[in-house]
Amino acid sequence: MALWNGLQTVSDTAADVKRKGLPWGDLRSGNCRETGEINDMMEAKVLIIIPAYNESENIESVMRHLLDTAPQYDYLIVNDGSTDDTLGICESAHFSYLDLPINLGIGGAVQAGYVYARKNGYDIAVQMDGDGQHDIAYLENMLRPILDGEADIVIGSRFLEKEGFQSSQSRRIGIGILSLLIRLTTGKRIMDVTSGFRAVNKMFIDIYARDYPTDYPEPEAIVTAIMHRGRVVEIPVRMKAREGGTSSITLRKSVYYMVKVTLAIMIGRLSYGFRRAKR
Amino acid sequence: MIPSTLRVTLIAAVICYFIIILYFLKNRALNLKYTLLWLLAGVVMGILVIFPELLERIIHLFGIQDNMNGLFIIAIGFMLMILMALTSIASRQNMKIRLLVQEIGILDKRIRELEDGKNDRPEKIPGKREDGQKTQQERRHDV
Repeated sequence: MALWNGLQTVSDTAADVKRKGLPWGDLRSGNCRETGEINDMMEAKVLIIIPAYNESENIESVMRHLLDTAPQYDYLIVNDGSTDDTLGICESAHFSYLDLPINLGIGGAVQAGYVYARKNGYDIAVQMDGDGQHDIAYLENMLRPILDGEADIVIGSRFLEKEGFQSSQSRRIGIGILSLLIRLTTGKRIMDVTSGFRAVNKMFIDIYARDYPTDYPEPEAIVTAIMHRGRVVEIPVRMKAREGGTSSITLRKSVYYMVKVTLAIMIGRLSYGFRRAKR
Repeated sequence: MIPSTLRVTLIAAVICYFIIILYFLKNRALNLKYTLLWLLAGVVMGILVIFPELLERIIHLFGIQDNMNGLFIIAIGFMLMILMALTSIASRQNMKIRLLVQEIGILDKRIRELEDGKNDRPEKIPGKREDGQKTQQERRHDV
C-alpha cells in the first residue's frame, strides 16, 4: 500500500505539486491514515458547512461572527428550501451558498455540503448549525486532532466540561439514552451524540457524501462513522441557546425523534454486520 | 365449497381486474415494471377461482377452517406484498430525488459563479488524480 501511494504521488502533475507544496503532500494530507498527518494548518483545505432552514433571523449574525473569527476558511451555507427570506439574505450579502430547490431536511442539506466538499477537493469539512448555537471560535480546537492525524471525526461536545448552554433536562435524558445505546451497540462512548458541530477528514467527506442518514441524522452518523472504523473524538465546546427562530425538534416531535433514532441506530448497527470498530 | 354464483362473480371480477390493468398499461399510466406483482396476483386469483379444489387444498394445508377466510388471507397477503414493494420503490425514489436536488444545488452555485465571471473552483488536474484517489479509497475499504 505504501509503495502504491508512492507511485501515486510521483504521478502527480506539476500543478498539483505547486498547490500541495511537496510531492508527498498527498501522503500527508490525511489520505493515508496510517502514516498521515497534516502539520501545516494552511495546507489543509477546510470547508465550513452551514445548513440553514428558515434561519433568516440568525444567519446574518452567524455569518458576521464567522467572517470575523475565521475568515481564512471557506464556508458554504446550504439553504434547504427555506420558505422565509434566508435565500434573499444570502444573495444580497453575497455569501457563498447552495440553494436546494426542495426541502431535504437537515441530513440531505448537510450531505449536499459533503458532496460539494468532495467535488471541490476539500481536506476537512466542518458542519455547524446556522442558528448561532455553535461558536466558530472552537474551530481550531476541533481541527487540531484531525490535522495531527489522531482523529477522523471530531465532535464538539457541550457535556464534556458542562459549560455553556446545557439544554433542558428532558433533552439531556434523551441524549443520555441515545449515548448509552450507541455505547451498547458500538462500544464507543460519545457524550453529546446530537451535537451538529463536527469536523471530518477527507476520508469521511467521501463516506458521508455517499452515505449520510436523513431525518435527525446526528446520532446515526456517529454509528456510520464507527462502523467505517473512523476514530471519533469529542472536544469540549461551549454552546449557546439559539438566538432566534425555533428548533427543529419540538416537544411534540420528541417522542417520534426518540423512537426513530433508536431504531435507526440499531438498524444502522445491524446493516453493517458484525464488522467491529477496531480501535 | 365455494358456491357457483360466487365463482361466476369472482371470475367476472378477475376479468375486470385484468382489463383495468391492461387499460392503464396501454395508456402508459402504469409502468410495467411496477405492475408485474399486480399481474401475478391476478393470475393467482384466476387460477384459484377456476380450480377451487386447489384453493381448498392450500387452505387446509395451512389449517384455515373456512374457504372464504382463506381467500381473504391470500388477498391480504398479496396486498401486503404490493404495499411493501411500493414503500421500497418510494424509498428508492426518495433517495434519487435527494441526490438530484443536491446536484441541482451544486450546479446552481456553479452557474452563479460562472455568470459572475469568477471561478472559485480550484484548478483540477483532469482524470488522473481524481481516479487515483478513488482507487485508493476503494483499496482501503477492501483491506
